[in-house]
Amino acid sequence: MTRKILILNGPGLTDLGDYGDGNDRGLTLEKVRTECTELCHSLGIELDFRQTEDQDEMVRWIKKDSEGYDGVIINPVGCSRAATVSFPVYRSAIRTIALLRKPVVEVHMNNIFSRSAETTGSVNEPAGAMGLVCGLGVHGYLLGIRSIAHRFELDAV
Amino acid sequence: MAKTIYVVNGPNLNLLGTREPEIYGASTLKDIEDRCRATGTRHGLNVVFFQSNHEGVIIDRLQEAIDKAQGIVINAAAYTHTSIAIHDALRAFKGFKIELHISNPHLREPFRHVSFVSPVVDAVVAGLGTYGYELVLDVMAAELNKDEFRRSA
Repeated sequence: MTRKILILNGPGLTDLGDYGDGNDRGLTLEKVRTECTELCHSLGIELDFRQTEDQDEMVRWIKKDSEGYDGVIINPVGCSRAATVSFPVYRSAIRTIALLRKPVVEVHMNNIFSRSAETTGSVNEPAGAMGLVCGLGVHGYLLGIRSIAHRFELDAV
Repeated sequence: MAKTIYVVNGPNLNLLGTREPEIYGASTLKDIEDRCRATGTRHGLNVVFFQSNHEGVIIDRLQEAIDKAQGIVINAAAYTHTSIAIHDALRAFKGFKIELHISNPHLREPFRHVSFVSPVVDAVVAGLGTYGYELVLDVMAAELNKDEFRRSA
């Protein structure tokens, strides 16, 4: 049976111009999608890659749509900021998946804990998904996919 | 010339495989070291792998890395949440730095939610199990083998 991974991208990720530096300059969400698709293809994993500007839709995807997948990767952008009202809702949605013992990895392009990161007086708090990768740009997604694929292998033993 | 990566492991990681395997997994530190070396060999990287239970020893090795290494992977374990001295030593290292944890500290006790390491590294990887070591070395290799490796401020 083919395993399926759902990748969810939150508000603002259509424009990644500010994220890439060095060789990542000119990064777009389409390039991220292409790299994720190629990696999943090589691992024999089916991929559903989505982006939304609507935080409520994001939460619905996490709570409802994730049921049909074997692993989930989320780049929540602002959803994971402790200061936003949607954070508790987001966190509870993540816990729903974690309770099902499915692998979840939260990915951020930048190091959200960096000294230079703008925190606007609040602390960036990740939601406590199973895995967390931040600061590795597009690599973060690929690490998320590989770690979930590794989990599938371990589970199969 | 081969790039050198220091893989630095903090207190109690010598007990891996026996200490709370439900959190940290069944791999021993020696298993991890072997896999790191194999990954390094595959990428043509020189991997310096060590563990210490002593904060000062870790700081000495981080200072040594300033002249000898292009990248650091640091799992400072419990010192992550206490050591300003490790924070300072990491700031002095200008190469590529990744903070690594086997489990995700943010899922655990509140006293593990603050990291003195995270603000002074390029990236944080947590909760991917011991496989995380191999994954971050792959990224290190990809980044360090670029002609112009990206620098964070």
